Amino acid sequence: MNSVNDSTETESIARLSVTSLTVRYGDLVAVRDVTLAFPDGRITALVGPSGCGKSSFLHSLNRLTDLIPGCRVTGGIRLFDGTDIAHPRADVLALRRRIGIVFQRPNPFPQSIRRNFEIPLREHGWHRRDIPDKMETVLRQVGLWKEVSDRLHKSAVALSGGQQQRLCLARALALDPEVILFDEPCSALDPIASGVVEDLIHSLRDRLTVAIVTHNLAQARRIADHVAVFWHRDGAGQLIESGPAGRVLAAPSDPDAMSYLGGMRG
Amino acid sequence: MSFSADSSTRTATRSGWADRAFGFAGGAAAFLTAGLFGWIVWDLIRLGWPHLSWSFFTGEVEDAGRQGGVGPLLISSVLILVCCLVPAVPLGVGCALWLSECVRRGSLTARLVTGGVDLLASVPSIVFGLFGMVFFCQKLGMGFSILSGGLTLAGMILPILVRTTLTALESLPADLRPAAAALGLTRTTSIVRILLPAAMPGIVVGVTLGIGRALSETAALLFTSGYSVRWPESIHDSGRALSVHIYDLALNVANGGPMASSTALVLLALILIINAAAVMLSERWMRRRYHPEA
Ligand SMILES: Nc1ncnc2c1ncn2[C@@H]1O[C@H](COP(=O)(O)OP(=O)(O)O)[C@@H](O)[C@H]1O
Ligand SMILES: [Mg+2]
Repeated sequence: MNSVNDSTETESIARLSVTSLTVRYGDLVAVRDVTLAFPDGRITALVGPSGCGKSSFLHSLNRLTDLIPGCRVTGGIRLFDGTDIAHPRADVLALRRRIGIVFQRPNPFPQSIRRNFEIPLREHGWHRRDIPDKMETVLRQVGLWKEVSDRLHKSAVALSGGQQQRLCLARALALDPEVILFDEPCSALDPIASGVVEDLIHSLRDRLTVAIVTHNLAQARRIADHVAVFWHRDGAGQLIESGPAGRVLAAPSDPDAMSYLGGMRG
Repeated sequence: MSFSADSSTRTATRSGWADRAFGFAGGAAAFLTAGLFGWIVWDLIRLGWPHLSWSFFTGEVEDAGRQGGVGPLLISSVLILVCCLVPAVPLGVGCALWLSECVRRGSLTARLVTGGVDLLASVPSIVFGLFGMVFFCQKLGMGFSILSGGLTLAGMILPILVRTTLTALESLPADLRPAAAALGLTRTTSIVRILLPAAMPGIVVGVTLGIGRALSETAALLFTSGYSVRWPESIHDSGRALSVHIYDLALNVANGGPMASSTALVLLALILIINAAAVMLSERWMRRRYHPEA
């Protein structure tokens, strides 16, 4: 703890910590040597220009990068209780229950709203009998219950984009994750739907640990406790600055971070 | 100003003319196709309708087909179809699933298997018949039987099933797979509960095409399920398919023409009914569970 003089950085323990993480696609290094901790119950925003490896980094945190042929991840990823996420024989399926993710484009299963909950909950051992209650709880959490309670048997893909994204959030929440990752969750939505989803993410603070990739610096300022700035440098994406949102957004020490974040003061 | 207006009218006229010509040619082609089908059906009805009666569906073949009905053949045809679909559908769908979900697209294994499937599709049906006779009838000792015929047809419609299922799986939204994985679903759950139901409409189209192909096949059945016109007692009996009967009546039986038309009409109706039933059943099942209305 010698390097930390900013007391706010130690305010809470890390729920998830990443050390020297590198993600490669074949010869391409998407992101190199990232060390970053996600404080428990806080919202960490990952910002930076397109192509600097934010999504690759985020997706490696619950091993979704395993799905991509040729993708190789090295380095350490640990949960608070010591679970080694990066371990080759880690229980990836149980892990993904603990670390949920919501993608940029809403991706409900093309089935009924109810089935969207039944499939994952059944998979993780829930009894059929307990599913309706759970579904109602999380749908209420995302403010969707009133809108869909009379059409649970109808198709999920018939919902509006914003509703679909909230459904996806509810579906992720249904598994009681500890950490939830968002990869630009609002960028495919209209401004109003985007605001609703942003408020929801903010409401998860304290209960869950949140990591959110966003292109919207104003959004990062509104909801984030911590900010990590990614940049493409020396042929690879890198983490160039991280810390409490107030300090990083107001007075970044890295010159590139300063010019990038400077855009939000206009 | 006037120059540009002029040239634009000229291009407009020329493209207008091309559009009309294209529209006319397309319309003519569509009309011709529909007309041809109509003509065939009309001809079958004209020649075959007079002999159709209830006893034609239930009666046995008499006087080499000049008299009586096609009852046993109807049963044989349906049994052959069952023997064909029962192994072919799981095999074809399984093969497509393996190609799309378990091996990397463009890898050597994938290319070899798809190449093999396409090669299979180009094999003439008479060659399938010969293969079936040697392999199923003789080598496996099944003899001339409904089972041999059905299995031979299974090999024949396999490429259709693989190709249509593969196309259906590959045209699913790419983000379904990460969505499933992100919720901690196993690959089996993802395939069985999400990808397969989503691809079902495409698979049903493939099965429908396969049914049409199998029921109308003649050459491959000549040497495998045989010519017997008796009522089949089991799938180990030889049984003549409707298509084989049509072939026989038209070629080998003097004055068999009208009865060939009647049989063809029955075959056509059978194909339409089975396909309609397949589409309706799958739609009802799907709607209840997987593809609810908006
Ligand atoms: N599936 C993939 N295969 C190969 N290269 C990829 C893949 N996904 C991303 N990349 C590359 O990795 C780099 C980082 O991409 P990404 O993580 O999507 O960045 P960001 O989310 O910050 O825009 C880019 O150069 C991109 O082209
Ligand atoms: Mg991205």
